[in-house]
Amino acid sequence: MIRLVRELYQYRGLLLSLVQRELKARYRGSFLGFLWTFLNPTLNMLVYSLLFTVMMRANTPHYSYFMFVGLLPWIWFSTSLGAGASAISERRDLMTKVRFPAQVLPTTVVLTNLSNYLLSLPLMLGLGLFHGQYPTWHVIAFPVVVLIQLIFTLAMTYILAAINVTFRDLQHIVGNLLTMWFFITPVLYQASTILDERVRTVVLVANPMSSLMLSYQAIFYEHRFPDPWPLAALAAFSLALLWGASILFESRREEFAESI
Amino acid sequence: MQEPLDAIVMRDVVKSFRKRTIRGEYTTFKSELLRWLRGKRQPKEGGLITALRGITLNIPRGKTVAIIGRNGSGKSTLLKLITGIYAPTSGHMEINGRISALLDLGAGFHPDFSGRENILINGIILGMSRAEVRERMDDIIAFSELGEFIDEPVRTYSSGMYMRLAFAVATHVDPDILIVDEILAVGDEHFSKKSMAKMTEFKKRGKTIVLVTHDLSTVERWCDEAAWIDGGYIRRVGRPSEVVAEYKQAIALAEAQSVVFTPPALTEDGGALPQVNVPGAEAPVRLSGLKLVSPSGEVAPKLTPESSVEACVDFSAQGVCEDLVFEVSLQTLEGRALYETSTRVESVPLPRELPASGRVRFVLQRLGLLAGTYVCEVTARTKGGVSRETCTFVVSSSVAERGVFRPVHHWVVEPVPVAVAPVLAGVGHP
Repeated sequence: MIRLVRELYQYRGLLLSLVQRELKARYRGSFLGFLWTFLNPTLNMLVYSLLFTVMMRANTPHYSYFMFVGLLPWIWFSTSLGAGASAISERRDLMTKVRFPAQVLPTTVVLTNLSNYLLSLPLMLGLGLFHGQYPTWHVIAFPVVVLIQLIFTLAMTYILAAINVTFRDLQHIVGNLLTMWFFITPVLYQASTILDERVRTVVLVANPMSSLMLSYQAIFYEHRFPDPWPLAALAAFSLALLWGASILFESRREEFAESI
Repeated sequence: MQEPLDAIVMRDVVKSFRKRTIRGEYTTFKSELLRWLRGKRQPKEGGLITALRGITLNIPRGKTVAIIGRNGSGKSTLLKLITGIYAPTSGHMEINGRISALLDLGAGFHPDFSGRENILINGIILGMSRAEVRERMDDIIAFSELGEFIDEPVRTYSSGMYMRLAFAVATHVDPDILIVDEILAVGDEHFSKKSMAKMTEFKKRGKTIVLVTHDLSTVERWCDEAAWIDGGYIRRVGRPSEVVAEYKQAIALAEAQSVVFTPPALTEDGGALPQVNVPGAEAPVRLSGLKLVSPSGEVAPKLTPESSVEACVDFSAQGVCEDLVFEVSLQTLEGRALYETSTRVESVPLPRELPASGRVRFVLQRLGLLAGTYVCEVTARTKGGVSRETCTFVVSSSVAERGVFRPVHHWVVEPVPVAVAPVLAGVGHP
């Protein structure tokens, strides 16, 4: 794992340039340009708000803001995994022609989406102001939560990217699995609204994304510090996962250039 | 610490691929599931394809080494091993120095971005730091000769412009060891000359260059050493002219024996070309070190049609040979003879007993050939055997004549003599 991270640091120039380019590429040539960063989540939010406030009448005050707090980091997570799965297998041009550490590619995907998330935060805060929700000093915990999610997302993306080199259809399955994962994660609903005690325990304990979502909601929606223990456990789990992922990655990397 | 002498050391390097990856079938969950349903538990053993069977090669520091061989003989695989894109299946490899590989031009180019932005990303991918790329940005743009197009998206470029930009970036990387895969000929006459000059500059600065190419005249003209890879082994390493000559003969022999040219890696014995008897090895008179020399003694001088030049070749002889004939042939690159002569047809007297070693000089007061690339071939022919040496040379000219040679001539324009005046006047002034 140390080697993996050290190589990333050595190639930080490449990483930075690739992230910059991805960000620019996403908005280049589109009429609304940079506004898409805001437009996509906003449209998502409108759909879900319509569904849950008009059709199904959720009893959550400031529902659209509540949902936005969890939806944005979820988009970061899910787009990273979705695009990260094929990050290595689709860059045949680079992998077979140039020597550089392969983990740069999935890392680029994750960091690009992180940037997108951070760039869309003003929109979330703006929506909060509209609902009369002012950020409190509890936001100092926010970078910690982001860091934990970053480690977890990186680990997951490395694993998917490495496996997808051998099993090409993984990338098609990932999308469906992510949709399922989305609905067992308290983004659209509050965890306390799950009535069945056992189901709630499963959602909260077995799903790493839940404690992250609850933490974001605690900071921005409930204006309190997130519960430290689930977060600490998740941090340890994420590090262990990253360690496992780097072992998997290291053992496969010599095959990458040949298999794709 | 003492500097290692060799930039690249390879010992018994073997590289095999699993057949599946060569045929390009990917494993998928679906295919695994189907196989399981059909009851085949064990995956079909695809077998191995051995592209390189045991390469032992030293590439000395500061030399330009060409790697030649027929298609599919493993040249590119070898380069990818040196670059580190592939890992060797077994064997030992040692690389001393920073490597930059030009295996493909324009790696990572994004069509929607301007030339300038692509220079940055491509340069970094090729191993420069951001600061280095920024520093060399102006040089790169100037070299590419793209002018105002540099700020247009790359997708609007013509293929020539694209290649020029990519080549400009690639040659501004500053490695210790440069790996080049058949990409020297880019763009028009002017640009390819410029690229060549850039590569020569690399050479002069003492960089190690490993070059894969099928352009054998480049190998002879430009490289210090050539390695011929055949059947997964290094078949011969040595002076470019010798290696190229043997390679050409082996190909000719294979064609004459109508050997089926199968993909070497898929063939049992590695698809090696037939053995040739190295010409001149047993010949009583052996030639070596053919070179062109100017009257002032400069080796490989810049030639124009008016240059005077000598073809010098050393020979070593054993004993008496009465039937010795020296032949000289000037040819085009394609092997078409332009001029051929020999000591026999010109009845040049040769000493009955040759000195153990000596030199033959073929003196041309005036070369007479127009601009182009030519081959000079000298042969020593005896009953006991034939020894042959070739070298390639370039003639450049500032006059845009056409044809092959320039006869000694001058022009005269003068007033018409009185006797024929009426005829010409009738044509000129009706």
